[in-house]
Amino acid sequence: MFEVMLEILIKTVVILALPLGALPIIIHVERRGAAFMQKRLGPNRVGPFGLLQPLADVAKFMFKEEVHPTHVKPFFYTAAPIIALVVAILPLACIPVMAPFQAFGRTIFPEVFRSDMGIFYAFAASALGSYGILLAGWASNNKYSMLGALRACAQMVSYELSLSTSVVAMIFLYGSNDIHVMISAQTGYWFGFLPKWGVFLQPVAALLFLVGIFAESNRLPFDLAEGESELVAGYHLEYSSMKFALFFMAEYIHMIALSALLIILFFGGYSLLPGLELIAEKAPILLAVLQLTSLGIKIALMIWFFVWVRWTLPRFRYDKLMDLGWERLLPLGIANLIVTVLFVYFRNQ
Amino acid sequence: MVADVFLTILTVAFALMVVFSKKTVVSAFALLMTLLSLAMIFFQLGTVFLSAVQVLVNAGAIAILFVFVMMLINLEQFGNNREKSKVKLVISTFTVLVVLGVFALVINNNIDSLSVVNLTDNSMKALFDKLFNSYFLPFEMATVLLLAAIVASVVIATHEKDESIEQMEILKAEEKL
Repeated sequence: MFEVMLEILIKTVVILALPLGALPIIIHVERRGAAFMQKRLGPNRVGPFGLLQPLADVAKFMFKEEVHPTHVKPFFYTAAPIIALVVAILPLACIPVMAPFQAFGRTIFPEVFRSDMGIFYAFAASALGSYGILLAGWASNNKYSMLGALRACAQMVSYELSLSTSVVAMIFLYGSNDIHVMISAQTGYWFGFLPKWGVFLQPVAALLFLVGIFAESNRLPFDLAEGESELVAGYHLEYSSMKFALFFMAEYIHMIALSALLIILFFGGYSLLPGLELIAEKAPILLAVLQLTSLGIKIALMIWFFVWVRWTLPRFRYDKLMDLGWERLLPLGIANLIVTVLFVYFRNQ
Repeated sequence: MVADVFLTILTVAFALMVVFSKKTVVSAFALLMTLLSLAMIFFQLGTVFLSAVQVLVNAGAIAILFVFVMMLINLEQFGNNREKSKVKLVISTFTVLVVLGVFALVINNNIDSLSVVNLTDNSMKALFDKLFNSYFLPFEMATVLLLAAIVASVVIATHEKDESIEQMEILKAEEKL
């Protein structure tokens, strides 16, 4: 019993420490990346290359005076940022960072919550993501915040549909809803050089999922919830200092979790990047470390893609966003699902 | 055992809060918490799939739409219309008695003959085998019921909308005159 508790504790600490530790780096990359794309310098004064800027930001968030508006609904106003952060962290529990391995006389699964229904758990947890934003907007008692929250909520519910169709298509294709089975189906190569990743089998589903996670995490071009030019700052308008920072953290952790899910479904999860097999063959003891590195590199590339898109595409207009979701992506997703199911059915005959 | 009792008390407490809370939005969030604690009960029973579906569909989509609508129309401006009437009392007592009667019947007679699905191993297959073979007719009836409800709501909504559009047109015409 004690061993099991200890194992869960260690896994929880690791799965929390990795994204929270990466958070300042991601925010720095975002700011420097934005500057790079706009021909500016970005934050480069604090420490070498401005690397200590995130630390300065954290210090500022912690010690800044907290403005607590008097017209808000106090309980929900305080609860909203906490709910947003907790819900953003939840899906991380079922994301494996490496393959199961043998140690201390038993198989150890490297995810906090081990179940063959892991993928459903992840999407269920991520479906709750809009509550934090919705509560914040309502509790702020402010028209701009309310509009932002309503937009975010409608957008997340709409895009969840096309996202789900692509997930279901992938579950049919792999014939399992166990994350480890999905990843092992994506290990290896076609024709000796092309990785067996899901994205090559199901490019349409991958595209749907990619668009879906941009909408789910409220990032540009779908950041209608904030929409600075129309709503000042949207749902977090009334929040300052650490409460604002919690929303900020929630957004980035949600991004990390959704990127990890995208990578599990379409880019082989923790399976080794091409080229790393050579090292793994020579030193099998490094396999776990190499898998962790591969997953890390893939997530880092995905986050860079998020930043890249944010500073490249302009914001959608709200009606066009809804049209895209309901009239283009959803029919495309359903058509793709039907084709996939027929393909799987006749393959299994 | 402790977890079971705790979850049951939690679910019932939140369910009571849905009914007795004076603020509509608090009721909506209590409903959300009821759904989530139901999901936790499923989880406690070892049926991860059912609990995930409960969160995904009920808590993640349906309850969100409730909250959404309540925030949009701001029910508090209509005042607290919780007036006591005899008709309401009779109807609610009758409903409670019927529900309790059904529970009593099920517990008394059928609890052994209810085919219990063992959902813990290979849960999806067992569940959908029951759903699409043994209980196919009730399942389809439920979908027909939902369809009827959707059609009815669309009819009600479009009817009111047409009237309001007509009124707008009349007003515009009057302005022109």
